[in-house]
Amino acid sequence: MDPKPPEFGRFTEPSLLILTSLSDGPKHGYAMMQDIERSTGRPMGAGTLYAALVRLEEKGLVEPLAPVDRRRPYRLTEVGATTLAEQLRGLSAFAAQGLRQLGESQS
Amino acid sequence: MRSLLLRCYPARWRERYRDEFEAILEERPLGPFDVADILLGALDARLRQGRRGADIATGRSFSMSLRIGGIAAMIGAPVWVVGFAISSGAVANVDTRAAAIVLVVGSLLLLIALAGLSAFQARVHPLLSWAAFALPAVGTLGLIFGAAAVVLERDELTEAFFFGLLMFFIGSLLFAIATFFTAVFSRATAALLGLATVLAFAGGGGDESRPILTVAGMICFTLGWVALGVQAVRLDRPVNEPNAA
Repeated sequence: MDPKPPEFGRFTEPSLLILTSLSDGPKHGYAMMQDIERSTGRPMGAGTLYAALVRLEEKGLVEPLAPVDRRRPYRLTEVGATTLAEQLRGLSAFAAQGLRQLGESQS
Repeated sequence: MRSLLLRCYPARWRERYRDEFEAILEERPLGPFDVADILLGALDARLRQGRRGADIATGRSFSMSLRIGGIAAMIGAPVWVVGFAISSGAVANVDTRAAAIVLVVGSLLLLIALAGLSAFQARVHPLLSWAAFALPAVGTLGLIFGAAAVVLERDELTEAFFFGLLMFFIGSLLFAIATFFTAVFSRATAALLGLATVLAFAGGGGDESRPILTVAGMICFTLGWVALGVQAVRLDRPVNEPNAA
């Protein structure tokens, strides 16, 4: 296995968190913020959310749906879902490697 | 406030996102953390518009308010206490003008800390969180006036200096209370910060001062803010970030 940690590239934390939040269905901005805070225990401000969301939309990883009462839901595109899956697999492999190395160094 | 914050974004951005962004801002009260985060977002949007922006997706997380607040707390508290100690005459043979400036710098850093660390508190106690920010902000103005008075040797303005100190201690106490009840950071740390203000007031001033209480208060103040800063930086550490070691 490549010993280098996976290159996060365009998926630093806020982007990855947004994609993961959208992985179980479309959500509007506030629902994403609540979901992310629930899963990480840390708040994501509206400024950060939209800075990342704009980039994800530009890259075609998420797409906006028709607004409902001014709230606009977003959903993962197919490219977004594929990229998220690749990214999570990379992280998973990285975590497995780290745990293995940790086990080796402690034994 | 909301429309003012929205106006910080470029017009093209507002055309596209205004309604949905406004809807988010209406969902819950805005705290100092949220305002700081939105201002950073607006700055990012403007920089990107000018094609000079640092891409959040290629560097570290853009969500750095908590981290910036934590670092500001760790640096600001010792600086503030050093400025306080020197300006109160605890250290001999030091220029009081330098002390006043150090105290102002420490105050500005602690204001950044208050804004950065109030993300959780503002959700539950918005009024308390805003008061905890506003009083020290007013206090800092007092300290700046007071520092200017010391530098310019205008004795009639030095009262502003003591008013600034008072506001800072009260703001710190309110922040400690909000932090204690929100319980995201350690409650023991919040209690330590609250105790600092109580001890500082108990230490008093003038002829009836009790220096030992003031010193104990300053130790609690420094430890409390530094510990909060460390907790904030740890909390903001990306989930998938490998340890440097």
